[in-house]
Amino acid sequence: MLPTGIVTLACFLAPLALILVYSFGSENLVSFNVNFGWTTANYTAFGSSLYLDTLLRSVALSVGTTLACAVLGLTLAYFISRQGLRTQRLLLAAVIIPFWTSFIVRTYSWVDILQNDGPLDRLAHAIGLVGSGSHIDLLYTPASIGIGMVYSYLPLMILPIYVSLERIDPAIYNAGADLGATPWRQFRRIVLPLAKPGLIAGSIIVGVPAMGEFVIPEILGGGKTLMVGNIIANQFQETGNYPFGSALAVALMVAMIVVLFILRRAQSSAVVV
Amino acid sequence: MDESDVADLPLGLLSRRSLLRRAAMAGAGLPAAGALLAACGGSSNSGGSSASGGSGKAAANGGPSTGTIVLNNYPDWIGPKEVPTFESEHPGATVKVVTNATSSSAEVVLAFKSGNYDFLLADTSDAGQASQAGVLQDLDFSKIPNIANVNPSFRKSYPWGIPTDYGKVGIGYRPDIVKEKITSWHDVWRLAPKFSGQVVFIDLERDCMGSALKYLGYSSNTTDPKALEACKNAMTSIKPHLKAFLNTNVGQGLVNGTTAIAMDWDYDVALNKQQQPKIEWVEPSEGVHAYLEGFSAAKSTTHLNLVESFMNFLLEPKQYAQFVNATGTAYLVPKATPFIKKSIAKSPILVPNQSTLAKVEFDHYLGGAGATLWANTWQEIKAA
Repeated sequence: MLPTGIVTLACFLAPLALILVYSFGSENLVSFNVNFGWTTANYTAFGSSLYLDTLLRSVALSVGTTLACAVLGLTLAYFISRQGLRTQRLLLAAVIIPFWTSFIVRTYSWVDILQNDGPLDRLAHAIGLVGSGSHIDLLYTPASIGIGMVYSYLPLMILPIYVSLERIDPAIYNAGADLGATPWRQFRRIVLPLAKPGLIAGSIIVGVPAMGEFVIPEILGGGKTLMVGNIIANQFQETGNYPFGSALAVALMVAMIVVLFILRRAQSSAVVV
Repeated sequence: MDESDVADLPLGLLSRRSLLRRAAMAGAGLPAAGALLAACGGSSNSGGSSASGGSGKAAANGGPSTGTIVLNNYPDWIGPKEVPTFESEHPGATVKVVTNATSSSAEVVLAFKSGNYDFLLADTSDAGQASQAGVLQDLDFSKIPNIANVNPSFRKSYPWGIPTDYGKVGIGYRPDIVKEKITSWHDVWRLAPKFSGQVVFIDLERDCMGSALKYLGYSSNTTDPKALEACKNAMTSIKPHLKAFLNTNVGQGLVNGTTAIAMDWDYDVALNKQQQPKIEWVEPSEGVHAYLEGFSAAKSTTHLNLVESFMNFLLEPKQYAQFVNATGTAYLVPKATPFIKKSIAKSPILVPNQSTLAKVEFDHYLGGAGATLWANTWQEIKAA
């Protein structure tokens, strides 16, 4: 118990406390000396529309990614769970193996795939979707950000949903069919309710990091879309304003806690059901 | 420019250089860890020996120089034999090169403060800030007589240490696509709607906003709020027509024609011209914004004598040529020209000449308030 407590304190609570302390500090932006005097200036500064709009944009990106992953993840997890054990293992390996490659490398690979004259563009030409002299023009658009986000986070949605569905006794499906339920009705009345805990867990795992995501929009969005994660990263890496960056991080954390609290309540009710 | 002139430019290293100019992505997964990584990670390049080249070892520093000095530098941003040659000519001296992939002023200044390095690569903006922060060590230039080899205009612009290289921000474009001659930033702003979605800009505030300020007739180092407001308006007016703000491979689209016009660095255009001779380079008539880099000593160094000796060694024409040949950068030691590859020495894009230099305005440190104003304006542009 004690070692666990020490690890929790050192690795989780202490860094959070440090960020909180920094967020009320101020900094000399020439020497980068931080003054830990108590000031709320950092929090009042991001009341401007620039930061609020950016926060809203990040929330919208997170929600959109989570919904898309939920729809695709549920479909794929259901498909995997209905296969034989050997096929299930193969398909799960296919989901997990991309994680062995660096996230940055995987994201940059999409630049090559989506760019004009890339594989997708050539495929579109080959099947006649795009005429000669034209291109798909996907890279550096909101659509390319969406593709990159869903691709990166989809496995995190599939796995918890699969765990929920894999536990369903096949006899339940048979019982449903015997009672005259159509496949769609089975999906709606059996699969969906039983997948709900996995869906909620997946939504948390996907939604929280997606909220702070800035690498994918930067690489696949052509740097034209500013996310709250970009601003935080810039404060630490470029401007060197650790107190303001910390305040932004705390604000994002509070927004996430609120969302998590709501999802947690939903998850509890799902388990009870 | 003849195609053969650029045929042997060091392709890989130029690409890496491009990456380094804006390595946010490299550290993107580890926010705020850059300085730590710089201190803890990186490669060490020490030991070994080489008989090639010669140097005026200990010629000017008046005594033996021994011990280990640590250089914070970009990966491979040094000639492959410079360190071994120096070490072989200075028994007891070791140069450890720690590689770092950042162009963030904050991380560079924090690295100067860290006490982990004896000297660091820093551009005029970073070194200027480090100087104001009091973390730079003044050099005794009488111990670096080879500083006389450096073009005086660069010495004046980089007074804290030895300037090593510079890069201009200009225009790369495809005349076969645009169908008219581009000579200025005004041309870029005028043509952007016509080539909407085929224009890319650099994703680095100092270079991008600096060039926009040149377009508007201001200094690219201004901190005047009115000028920056005008800059923001100019940028937001052209942003809908931009394909992207890019920090790596900025001009790559010029090669296959998906980009018609690019705000780009000189070395990147020179690199892409190897693959696509139709690409043309323009130094805008309004003026050219540029960065200038060099090595400066940290206040905390206890081996200043050795640092100065190594700096002097680096500025020997043969050694400096090795650095230029390895990196493909625009150079600033005219005496090194005979030893520099013709592809670089004769490149009208990379070679320094007086008419080019007259148009150039280098980065200056903007001050704490100025830097914050720039950062905020840049964020507003990106958010617009």
